[in-house]
Amino acid sequence: MKTVVITGATSGIGLATARKFVSKGYSVIGIGHSKTNCDKARELILSENPEGKIIYFAGELMQQREVTRIADELTKYISENCNGELYALINNVGGVRSLYTTTEEGYEQQFALNHLAGFLLTYRLLPYIEKAHGRIIMTGSNSHKGIKMHWDDPMLKRGYYPLTAYKQAKLCNILFAKGLNDRCSGKGVHAYAVDPGLVNTDIGNKQTGSLVNFIWSRRKKYGVDPEIPAETYLFLCEQELAPSGLYYYLCRESKFSKEVSGENADRLFALSEKLCGIKYDGQVKCA
Amino acid sequence: MNVFITGASGGLGRAIAVECASRGYNLFLTDINEEGLLSLQNGLECQFGVCVTTKKCDLTEEESVDELLSLIDKNGICFDMLFNIAGIDYEGSFLERERENVVKIVSLNVEATLRVTHAILSRRRAGRTFSLVFVSSLASLYPMPLKATYAASKRFLTDFAMALRQELKNQNVKVLTLCPGGLPTTEEAISGIAAQGFWGSVTTNKLESVAFETVEKVQQGKGLYIPGAFNRTLSFLGKFLPRAVIASIIYSRWMGAQKKWLCLECE
Repeated sequence: MKTVVITGATSGIGLATARKFVSKGYSVIGIGHSKTNCDKARELILSENPEGKIIYFAGELMQQREVTRIADELTKYISENCNGELYALINNVGGVRSLYTTTEEGYEQQFALNHLAGFLLTYRLLPYIEKAHGRIIMTGSNSHKGIKMHWDDPMLKRGYYPLTAYKQAKLCNILFAKGLNDRCSGKGVHAYAVDPGLVNTDIGNKQTGSLVNFIWSRRKKYGVDPEIPAETYLFLCEQELAPSGLYYYLCRESKFSKEVSGENADRLFALSEKLCGIKYDGQVKCA
Repeated sequence: MNVFITGASGGLGRAIAVECASRGYNLFLTDINEEGLLSLQNGLECQFGVCVTTKKCDLTEEESVDELLSLIDKNGICFDMLFNIAGIDYEGSFLERERENVVKIVSLNVEATLRVTHAILSRRRAGRTFSLVFVSSLASLYPMPLKATYAASKRFLTDFAMALRQELKNQNVKVLTLCPGGLPTTEEAISGIAAQGFWGSVTTNKLESVAFETVEKVQQGKGLYIPGAFNRTLSFLGKFLPRAVIASIIYSRWMGAQKKWLCLECE
């Protein structure tokens, strides 16, 4: 039985993906923000699939301290129950903040949650993914187009706009996938970013201000059901031979911004390693 | 530049710490929340490569502060800046609050601030300019029903800071009082601001720019900083109305906001 970790798995795309993977017979480990939400999601999935393999861990992935704690719990669980093999890690958790707000580390929250959380969690789980020749999938977005990385002020402290921060974080997701492929494909590990399209979820209604909330409440009505993008994650994991593309929309390769370059990916890797206090080439040997 | 910050792991404290670290200053951070301090230390060291020391401290406890000071003295640290940020308030009218909570507001906002200010000023670097910031509040400018103790405690700070500024003028100490309106520091604060609707949004300022301006203004020698043109206008107009009238206006505004806030909480 193949094990899959999905972050942000208690609602929206993450929940739909968790349901899909459980129904296809995967063993799913979901991560959610609160214990209550995790329990609810687990009950829902078990009501559909009483025999399904689903377990949740609760943690606030925006905080690095919490990512580290969750990673400790996950590595223990995967070693004891999954033969030390993780077939897929789906870095899906994401959010929008209307204002410049920071995590405990003093990092801007969208950058921390939408990018750094996945960067650090992947680092911790990589040896287990390598063992399974597994896949790492980021929830990206087509909104990554039309923006460049703000290298001189990556957390946008000097001029914060919620949508700019979101777009940039989504660009980071694809750059991270590219950087991972550049470093780890020799080890049989493949990384992807999925464009879910416009999806009817509550992303713009959680911990946002009244304006973002108002706009998103109207916009999301035109979005598709989260089950649609969930198909793409399943597609990427079901292929026996790892698909060779980087960016997928509706189970097909899709075009991405020309900002997704090896140079930018390396730069993002260096910055993220610095902010997380880790070295991918150091402790974890995957080059 | 050695900087001492109280209440460092919270909203404004963290923003000031980030601002100072981005300027390359070395930081001594204290807070009652030790986990938060350690996370912040990690983040600042990774992001800016500055030297950060942290020590958990309950500033309302004399012994806890003594421990902190002995750590400072053991290492022979002298300071160039102090940000008094630690402060507290509780929701609800005077009689709805717990007795010890009401007293705690004064112990932390007033007593602890005096304790720290005295201790750190006595450990300032000799022969250099020292910058001292008190975080008061827009609430300190008026008597505030439903926030009576908090507003009065902040009033103490505003008046004290202004007097101390004169006292230390010839000793190279610059004193700034920061009187912010709403600041989006925590999820709770953000939902509280949302509940005030129009008034909430016009009296609220961006945390990161308030932090930047505060560090700028104290070094320029400014005495009072009220962020936001709207807040400055309010405080100016407030000078022309009798204090009793202001108190009654504020009372009716806060009653409405509190009801709405409680409703939002229930949802």
